[in-house]
Parts: sequence; structure tokens; C-alpha cells
Amino acid sequence: MGNGSSPSMPATAPDKAAQMPSAIGAKSGRPDPGGANPGIAPLVRIRGLRFSRAAHVVFDGIDVDIPRGRVTAIMGPSGTGKTTLLKLISGQLRPDAGTIEVDGEDVHALGTRALYRLRTRMGMLFQSGALLTELSVFENVAFPLREHARLPESLLRKLVLMKLEAVGLRGAAALMPSELSGGMSRRVALARAVALDPMMIMYDEPFTGQDPISMGVLVSLIRQLNDASRLTSIVVSHDVRETAGIADYIYLIANGQVVCHGTPRDIASERSSWVRQFMDGEPDGPVHFHYPCAPLAEDMLTRARRATRR
Amino acid sequence: MMNALARLGRLGLDSLARLGRAHLLLFGILGGLPSVLLRPRLLIAQIYGIGVLSVLIIVVSGLFVGMVLGLQGYYVLAQFGAAESLGVMVAASLVRELGPVVTALLFAGRAGSALTAEIGLMKATEQLSALEMMAVDPIRRILAPRFLGGFISMPLLAAMFSAVGVLGGYFVGVGLLGVDDGAFWSQMEAKIDFEEDIVNGVVKSVVFGVVVTWIALYEGFDATPTSSGVSQATTRTVVHSALAVLGMDFVLTALMFGD
Repeated sequence: MGNGSSPSMPATAPDKAAQMPSAIGAKSGRPDPGGANPGIAPLVRIRGLRFSRAAHVVFDGIDVDIPRGRVTAIMGPSGTGKTTLLKLISGQLRPDAGTIEVDGEDVHALGTRALYRLRTRMGMLFQSGALLTELSVFENVAFPLREHARLPESLLRKLVLMKLEAVGLRGAAALMPSELSGGMSRRVALARAVALDPMMIMYDEPFTGQDPISMGVLVSLIRQLNDASRLTSIVVSHDVRETAGIADYIYLIANGQVVCHGTPRDIASERSSWVRQFMDGEPDGPVHFHYPCAPLAEDMLTRARRATRR
Repeated sequence: MMNALARLGRLGLDSLARLGRAHLLLFGILGGLPSVLLRPRLLIAQIYGIGVLSVLIIVVSGLFVGMVLGLQGYYVLAQFGAAESLGVMVAASLVRELGPVVTALLFAGRAGSALTAEIGLMKATEQLSALEMMAVDPIRRILAPRFLGGFISMPLLAAMFSAVGVLGGYFVGVGLLGVDDGAFWSQMEAKIDFEEDIVNGVVKSVVFGVVVTWIALYEGFDATPTSSGVSQATTRTVVHSALAVLGMDFVLTALMFGD
């Protein structure tokens, strides 16, 4: 585990800790995924990150390290800010406090040009694929190359076809995005994300809504691309089995905190009820099935009285 | 009472914030215009999408408006024995007012709403975010060519509207109602002033083109990225554009033709 042997949670948020199972809330510690890559500085280093939307605190002082050359999974229930974390790492959102360093550069201290330069070394696979709908599959993959690299057309064509071959869609080069299935769209988006040979790629819910075959293809593609291209991958997902299957290190986040982090084996052996509920997909537990509300009988009677008065 | 005041204050602050964001966007777009000129293909595609595809509705509307002007003008002028001035009346009405204004209203309904929906959907489907992640500025790459396309297309469409409108008036006045052919054209030629009428009409259409395209792009870019958000933004584009065009037409007319 990140703090030596157990799940961790910064001790800066007593109110949040109260909502957590005591086994987790009582412990604190900094991430140490370097255990997987000792002596090498993490590619992404997040310290004291705070971010709010209106009154809702999304992150309340979290620390996260993303080790180089590994697949790191960020997992947690829906609405816990996993996608927001990716947007913060890529500089699309600005934190209220804390720092995010990517390859030693403080993302939010960079000017626009420097940020865009940094982004040419990052790739991102969006949940929807986010292909440009007026361009063909070929032109979508060629897009970042045309924008950033002045290559002869023949070389550009070869590069694009190689990227499409890597995701198994060279034969679909002439198709338009509207002619692709969901899984194919994501594979094209993946080819586009690696077009500039980035150092890091971020996957936003890559498995959501995929049929088993497409999901299997995406799972193996993410792992293969990471290993073959020596990338650093961040996979944001709540698909536990698939993500844990390819991740080298896992962060579980909930209620604005890092609830637990460690290797998939560490997480699998974690005993805390919250972690077990999430990893095993139990419908009820520390996270209740019912949204907080008054007892059913009381609610029904109150409504009946109101209706009678009317 | 206090709640109403608070709501009013919030509305005022929100409106000011929107106005500020719209101006920041405009400055961003203007900053991106030089890069559009270096990539004429982007511009040509937008002139086609915004301008060429609007030609049909503009031409058909211009024809009918000109025909109605010919008809109405003839009945009024004939009462004073001045039916030969029909050409002047039709041309002046079209070039000074109806050409720029009606074209701008139709432009807002056809091209403006399409621009808002396109940009709003690009936002909702994360295409704009994807561009940012590919280190491509969506304001320069997507919005600036569309802005320039609208800026160029609008005066050309207004000119077409006026030209076809004059032909419609000619068809009704000369072809159907018997106004003298020579008088129709010669009086128009004698009375329509190039600077006062035509240039001012062109200036109006350029201003309307900028305003309508700016509103359409801003509403799309600022839209809530949901289906209802895009729908509301599209409605706002048409409503705000129409109000802006009519209001600015009064101001411009007062400046151009007032003593």
C-alpha cells in the first residue's frame, strides 16, 4: 500500500473522514507508488489539490503520484471527480489550491503557449471519443499531425495508416465517425491520441458502454500501447475488473479524498468495508443504496396531510 | 421585496458577466483572424457553409419582398400620379433598409442558428476539449474562420437580396402593372446615390454580419453542454440577433441619414 502497508487518507478533512468507514478514516499517509518504480520521479505529482464547484467540494487536499511507464488507475464511484482530475492534470481546469506537476512542470503556472507545448506530449481519450464529426477517420488521426508537424503528405499518410493499423482500423480509414460503432470510435480516438507519440495518455472511462468484445480489445490495446510505446497511462474508470486487470497501481477516490491506493493485489486484500463494497460491487454497505431522506412512513404521511389540506 | 431586488441584482451581474465573456471571446477571435488568412481553405469552407448555402432563402425572400414593394408602392404612388418613381422607391427601400435588415434576420435564422448548434454540439460532444488536448486553440481553429466567413458572406447576401428584390419590383411594376420601363430604371439611376444609399447599406450589412456571427458563436461556445442547453442557446441566438439588428438599424440609420 501507498503508506507502507495500509490504505491512506490525508488527515486534513475531519468532516469527510466522518463519512468514511472508520478503518480508513483513521489512517493517513502520502502516496508512494514509487514502490513500483523506485528512485524514479513520478511523471505526475499532485500535492494538496483542492477543487470545488460552487458549494460542492470535489477534491479536498489530495496527494497523488503517477509513476512513469506504468498504468495507473483512478477509480471511484460515479460523480467523485475522476474526469475532473484528468481535466486538472491537463490544465483544462484550474485548482483552488495545490499543485500539479507533469514531467517537472507546474501545469497551472505555465503560460498558454507553454501549456499547449506540454499538451503535445499528452494524449487523452475522451469518454465519447470526441472525434471531429466533419472529418473522416483518416483525417481525424491526421489532424494533430497536420496541426503540429509539417510533414510531406506521403509520410503523413504512412504514419496515420500505422496508427490505424495499431488499433486494427486501417480498413476503416475512409469511413466517417457517424459510420463507426462506439468501440471503433474509441479505437480511432486512441489512434489520434497517440498520433504525436506522447509521453503520457489519459483514458476517461474507456470501457463505459462497450460490448464484451470491444471492451476486451480496448483493455488489451491500453496495456499493449503502454508497454510497446513506453507510455505512462492514467485510466479513469469505475469498471473494477477490467481496470484492475491492466493497472500497475490503483487509487480509489471518494468524497474528495484518496480513500485507498496500492497495487491491485494490495487493493484486493484490503479489508475495509468501503473498499470491499466498491471492489466487489455490493449494492449496500457504507455507501447506502438509498439517497439520504426521511423515513418512508413519515414521508408518505406528510405528503398525505399536504394533499388533504389542498 | 428583498428577494426581488436580489434576483434583479443577480440578473444584472449575470448579464454583465455574459457581456464580459462575449467580449473576451471576440478579442480572442480577432486575434485568430491572421492565422485564418494563412489557411484560406478553412475560410472557403465556411463561406460555403454560411454564405453559399444561405443564397437560396435570401434570393427567394428578396424576390418576394421586391414584388410586394412593387405592388404596395404602385398603389400609393399611383394616387399621386408618381407611378414612374416606383423604381426609386423599391431600390431605396431595399438598399437602405430592407436589404441589410431582412437579410440579417434571415441570416440569423439560417446561418446563425446553425453556427450556434454546431459549436454547442461540438462542446457537448467534447470535440472542443479534444482540440484543446491536441494543443489546438478552438477559438482560432474553429471560431475565427466562421466569424470571418460570416463577415464576408453577409454583405454579399444583402447585395443579392437587394438586386433580386429590385428585379421582383420590376417584374410587378413594369411587367404586370404597366409602369414605363425607361422611367423605372432612369429614375432609379438618377435618384439612388452611391455613397448615401449603397455604401451606407453595405456598412449596415457588414455591421449586422459581425454582430449576428458574434452572437451565434458566443452562444454556441457558452452553451450548457446538454441537448436542452444547446436548444436554448440556439433560440437565444435568433432572438438576440433579431433584437440587436433592429436596434442597431435604428442607431445606424439615425447616424447615417439624420441631419
